[in-house]
Amino acid sequence: MSITKKYWKGIDELKETPAFLKSKDQEFANPNSIEEFLADEKLGESSTERRDFLKFLGFSVAAATLAACEAPVIKAVPYVFKPENVTPGMPTWYASTYYDGISYSSILVKTREGRPIFIKGNKEHGFTKGGVNPQIIASILGLYDSGRLTGPKENGKDSEWGTIDGKIKGSLASAKSITLLTNTVISPSMTRAIEEYKVKFPGKFEHVQYDAISYSAIRKANLQNFGSSFIPSYDFSKAKVIISLDADFLGTWLMSNEYAIQYGQRRNPDGEWMSKHFQFESVMSLTGSNADYRAMTKPSELATVLSYLISKKGVNTGVASNLPAPIKAVADAAAAALASCGNQAVVVCGSNNLGLQLLTNKLNQLIGAYGSTIDKTNTLNLYQGDDEKINQLVSTVIAGKGPDVLIMSGVNPVYSLPNGQEFGAGLKKIKTTVSLSAYMDETASKATYVCPPHHYLEDWADYSAKQSEYAVAQPTIRPLHKTSSALETLLVWIGVTGRGGKDSKAAYDYITETYTGLGLSDFNFTVHNSCVEKPFVVATANEIVFKDAAINGLPKAANLEVILYQKSGIRSGEYANNPWLQELPDPITKVTWDNYITMNPKEMEDAGYATTYDQENGLNLATLTVNGKSVTLPVYPMPGQALKTVGVALGYGRGANGEKIGKSAFQTKEYGGHVTDENGNPKPIGANVFSMTKFENSTYNYTSAGSISAAEGKYIIAATQIHHTVMARHSIVRETTLGIYTHNDKEAYNPAHVLQKLDEHGNHVKVPVSEFDLWEEHPVEVVGHRWAMTIDLSSCIGCGSCLIACQSENNVPVVGKDEVRRGREMHWLRIDRYFSSDEEATIGTRKSEDIDYDNAEHPSLNPKVIHMPMMCHHCNHAPCETVCPVAATTHSNEGLNQMTYNRCIGTRYCANNCPYKVRRFNWFNYPSYKKFTEVNPAQDDLGRMVLNPDVTVRTRGVMEKCTFCVQRIQSVKLAAKVESRKVGDTDFATACSEACPTNAIIVGDWNNEASVVRKSSKDKRAYQALEEVSIKPNMWYKVKVRNEENKELATLQNTKSHH
Amino acid sequence: MQKEAAIREPLILGHKTYHDVTEDVCRPIEDKAPKMWYILFGIALIIGLYGVGCIMYLLGTGVGVWGLNKTIGWAWDITNFVWWVGIGHAGTLISAVLLLFRQKWRMAINRSAEAMTIFAVFMAGLFPLIHMGRLWVGYWTLPLPNQFGSLWVNFNSPLLWDVFAISTYLSVSLVFWYIGLIPDFATIRDRAKKPVAKKMYSILSFGWSGRAKNWNRFELVSLVLAGLATPLVFSVHSIVSFDFATSVIPGWHTTIFPPYFVAGAVFSGFAMVQTLLLIMRKAMSLEAYIHTKHVEYMNVVIMVTGSIVGTAYITELFISWYSGVEYEAYAFLNRATGPYWWAYWAMMTCNVISPQLMWFRKLRRSLLFTFFISIVVNIGMWFERYVIIVTSLHRDYLPSAWSMHYPSHIDIGVYIGTIGLFFVFFLLFARYFPVLALNEVKTILKGSGQSYKEAPDYHKHH
Repeated sequence: MSITKKYWKGIDELKETPAFLKSKDQEFANPNSIEEFLADEKLGESSTERRDFLKFLGFSVAAATLAACEAPVIKAVPYVFKPENVTPGMPTWYASTYYDGISYSSILVKTREGRPIFIKGNKEHGFTKGGVNPQIIASILGLYDSGRLTGPKENGKDSEWGTIDGKIKGSLASAKSITLLTNTVISPSMTRAIEEYKVKFPGKFEHVQYDAISYSAIRKANLQNFGSSFIPSYDFSKAKVIISLDADFLGTWLMSNEYAIQYGQRRNPDGEWMSKHFQFESVMSLTGSNADYRAMTKPSELATVLSYLISKKGVNTGVASNLPAPIKAVADAAAAALASCGNQAVVVCGSNNLGLQLLTNKLNQLIGAYGSTIDKTNTLNLYQGDDEKINQLVSTVIAGKGPDVLIMSGVNPVYSLPNGQEFGAGLKKIKTTVSLSAYMDETASKATYVCPPHHYLEDWADYSAKQSEYAVAQPTIRPLHKTSSALETLLVWIGVTGRGGKDSKAAYDYITETYTGLGLSDFNFTVHNSCVEKPFVVATANEIVFKDAAINGLPKAANLEVILYQKSGIRSGEYANNPWLQELPDPITKVTWDNYITMNPKEMEDAGYATTYDQENGLNLATLTVNGKSVTLPVYPMPGQALKTVGVALGYGRGANGEKIGKSAFQTKEYGGHVTDENGNPKPIGANVFSMTKFENSTYNYTSAGSISAAEGKYIIAATQIHHTVMARHSIVRETTLGIYTHNDKEAYNPAHVLQKLDEHGNHVKVPVSEFDLWEEHPVEVVGHRWAMTIDLSSCIGCGSCLIACQSENNVPVVGKDEVRRGREMHWLRIDRYFSSDEEATIGTRKSEDIDYDNAEHPSLNPKVIHMPMMCHHCNHAPCETVCPVAATTHSNEGLNQMTYNRCIGTRYCANNCPYKVRRFNWFNYPSYKKFTEVNPAQDDLGRMVLNPDVTVRTRGVMEKCTFCVQRIQSVKLAAKVESRKVGDTDFATACSEACPTNAIIVGDWNNEASVVRKSSKDKRAYQALEEVSIKPNMWYKVKVRNEENKELATLQNTKSHH
Repeated sequence: MQKEAAIREPLILGHKTYHDVTEDVCRPIEDKAPKMWYILFGIALIIGLYGVGCIMYLLGTGVGVWGLNKTIGWAWDITNFVWWVGIGHAGTLISAVLLLFRQKWRMAINRSAEAMTIFAVFMAGLFPLIHMGRLWVGYWTLPLPNQFGSLWVNFNSPLLWDVFAISTYLSVSLVFWYIGLIPDFATIRDRAKKPVAKKMYSILSFGWSGRAKNWNRFELVSLVLAGLATPLVFSVHSIVSFDFATSVIPGWHTTIFPPYFVAGAVFSGFAMVQTLLLIMRKAMSLEAYIHTKHVEYMNVVIMVTGSIVGTAYITELFISWYSGVEYEAYAFLNRATGPYWWAYWAMMTCNVISPQLMWFRKLRRSLLFTFFISIVVNIGMWFERYVIIVTSLHRDYLPSAWSMHYPSHIDIGVYIGTIGLFFVFFLLFARYFPVLALNEVKTILKGSGQSYKEAPDYHKHH
């Protein structure tokens, strides 16, 4: 029996009244239609009562207020159809190649949802082996630079490609002479295109290559010595002895990103052997700061040093070889080292003086370096500029006898020539000048036509940087603007191809053609790897015997010798508008956003210049005059600067006539906006000293005689470090020599911190500080992961690649000069640079127990240098964590010190309580405050595209700091989980560890006993900075080992080991 | 009534009767305000409003408008905070501790001292609020149930203890002060002629009727609150000192801090009371109630606490050397001889040397000299906090991060502004509130009043 309960809506339904039956099937009880309801005349009469009105009013006000409180919503447009190869949230990596006329590298480009956002070196393919420098990593920012030209221009006005192409074709056809002025072309396809020009315009066409920084002397010297103009391949990893004369081969000289990797391989004291590095230089360079022995040598003394070393090999060059005692001591040590290393040595010279290069070649020949550390066969295709040819062209242009058509690509001669101004005026006398420049720069603004090329990340290109390699650059994004491939542009003008617009395949087709022509196969595979080995004809140069050449025109001694050097961030000024690079502290001076005259502080004191500086106290201005040209710049106290010399960095003073080269290239005011001159043009940063270079003895020279005089006033500079010594503190940096390291146990050079305690017998015993613990251990050991890092101070060369990589990966804001001056740079990773003082046997030791603190604050005359990367140590007993009132910074069970931005209320106690001072506070709203519009790329819609979507952009008033790239940790953990495996030791790398050319930074899971980081942290060189504070960092440094003799240090450290 | 030896200096001078006391205290409230009051009030208001403007700019733009940097995360903000909290220390000490110790002389000064305390704590409390990067989420420092899941405050953090300590101190001080005001308000109410004033004071006086029951409860509550407030006198500044003492920064990480801070606070608080009262007794003709004896008593307190502070300074110096800790030793060497030597020696001169002059009876009974020293002491105490905060931070462990601090004009504006606001409050208090605890003063009139002491017959007859 089934009983179904029946419910009635009402008594009507039970009784089934007629009214109910009638309305039963209607949805609405009241059958009135809406029209009827609205047509009701009485509707208007129904009024809202006072109480209701107040209710409505209250509700609407409350609702409106609440709605107004809501943060503005920025809408993202989702994909309607999922593009192939794009998974939202997953990065896609492309192998590509970087070449800007100065640096070359095989790179990997990370794209997210079609946007390139990060660049790193390609460690698997290419002879650069992953070696990058700050410019290469920072070049990603150029893609999104709002200062870039968005389309072709004619006489400064916007134009169309079709119009311009027609006009240029016409000019070319009617021209009697055509000159193509480019930076060094290493592209086989571009070379082929140029060959086609030669065929098309027989006898009328000339191609001149011009490098802003010339290495012409090396080629000329080799031409004289070997009969062939080449730049060889150097291999610093084969050199037991490295002698460098003014060559900054780790920072700016030739293929420094390649050399840094080679160099790093032999700076490990635990390796098979460790190289011994001698540096003779005037301005303290990045390379000089890493040298085992460094002698303050004037440019005019370099020849003497070479001659002296050559004489030690029993050859008389006829050049004087009498050296001052301090240099002689180093030269003797170098000669002794050379005597015992066979042919495993290399001598390099950074000067562009032919005589010096000939002497260098001679010494290399005597050592037997050719064939050992120097490869003459697989030569470099970069830096082919021939100074004589350029000078000739420049002279004709200035004289008004230039070619009818001058096409310029990848060069900015108006800025970088010694007589750039005159050249610029000369350009106006040429019928047709065409510039293939991405910016309306000094040269482009004087050209008839400007045909902006793609950014290299939008373009196909091919390169052959060395004989042995063919490389491809592939586009990683559809062109953002109406720009065009430079190759396509050139081809269009000779009718080889037509314009293809944004989706043009012209360059691609031409490159594949070249590729096939070279006899190589499988282009797609090459694109995948970005490069392929190219068979090459071994030049006969190898068999050519060394031929002595007459040496003359050596740099002359003067009362004041001026060196025009490059800073490793800005170099020749191409990236003057890149705020990351402008804010990258110089590796030695730690100054940002400026150039200056470097002088030894000892001489500055004698001359009455200020030698200290900070937020409010500037440096004295001085006027430097060289070759009749003057600049007024602040004088910077550079320890180790050769006496009677001064240095000035090239690459500054860009856009001096208000050229539109990007908003970050100019000085900014305290409350935003550019500092302007009397014409209303923005003022450039620093001063251009290319005008002080001089064409002499067939090359452009970067050293010459000059004079300096004090100028009125002081100038405030922005440095990230205003204190330069470690004050003889022993638990920050540790250093020893190779001799002490190999002959002594750990106690000698890396003693453990000990404290006294009473043992069970009541005796005082010394036990390591690690045994004392105020707090309960964080449960990070053994269980799960524990992320840790080691940094080898022996390997770190201080190049700054890690800093820029970190900035790029973690959306670190740029704050501009005024804020850096106030000590508010936001870099999560900084590189501390310490000089030794006279109170120290070496950095971080005390010559005697009682030291003079005043003296310890001042660097020695020619100090030793240590570079120490510094970021969050992720302490297991983090002082920052206990003091946060709202628990915004906490410890993860993987050993990470986490910062929860959302929870942070900004008391800054954590930053105060951090012994390493690595926490960074958002003093302003960097992504929107007007002060940062010019400098912070995240302030415009285009610039914002570079932001890493995996990392939050921090708001005003919150603290931030290094996270150990926690977003990467998450992604490797997720990948491992998806694949049901454990996280492998090599899976995880931070942005900094990836960027490091010398592998100084190692990261990994410390709980994995087989991990490299675990082993590294257990090494006898490993120590923890400020260990005695007992904060238990997850970070270890490794003792710096210098391959030198240091008797004072040996006494100190050997006595220690006997205790 | 308590008996007092006749040879003791009387606390109330002149031939004051009960009525005189009432008249003297109520006169300034009932009369028209003098011109000077308007001028002073106007100046204080302008300065205060300028400070408010600076604070608005700060809140609108970001903490970056101050002169702080990556190394020095606190400077004038927390210096001012500790300085004001310190000043706010005298009130409770006078009203609570001296009450328990039955120091009758406190009655002349406790009302103004307590008012000063409350206004100083207002000013002090402002700084932890505005120094936050995100003030609008500052309420997260309160352990409130919330919708963020299990998010809770961090009880390890001394900043959190600060929140509790300061808010407790402020509320107890406020209640204590107000309870004391009730009978006095009632007196004014009873005398008031204008209806608005009468209404206002009758609300303020909570219906006080002056019956024995009222007085009985009043005495009881005062005693209980005094008992509650006494530990606060020691806890507040101890906890403020924990902000530094529990850190790892050399120069902050010091166990001596709690007693040293408390002594310093009393020291600066009494100095501020001196500064204010010396002006007030003159301006409001209260010379009979606050006279040399009171000033002398307070100078003795300043001398004692100043000596404690001086001892603490020297102990710190000794320990920094004796400990053998490199960073600690350098931190103190740097204080005395580093770039901020002038701040250190300003502090040493003002706080260690100047109170020692109070050993001379002549000096400690000189009103002009006292006024001068009271200002000097507060300058010294400001420098003490500046020295502790800035010179410790600017050169700590890693020399690479060493820095200098330069205040911005907003730093200065906010500080000066709080002084302006403080005086705005204090001038309003002086105008509308009984600046003397008149009903309490009456209780000692017969014991310590000059007229009664000089007429011994009077006692005999009763």
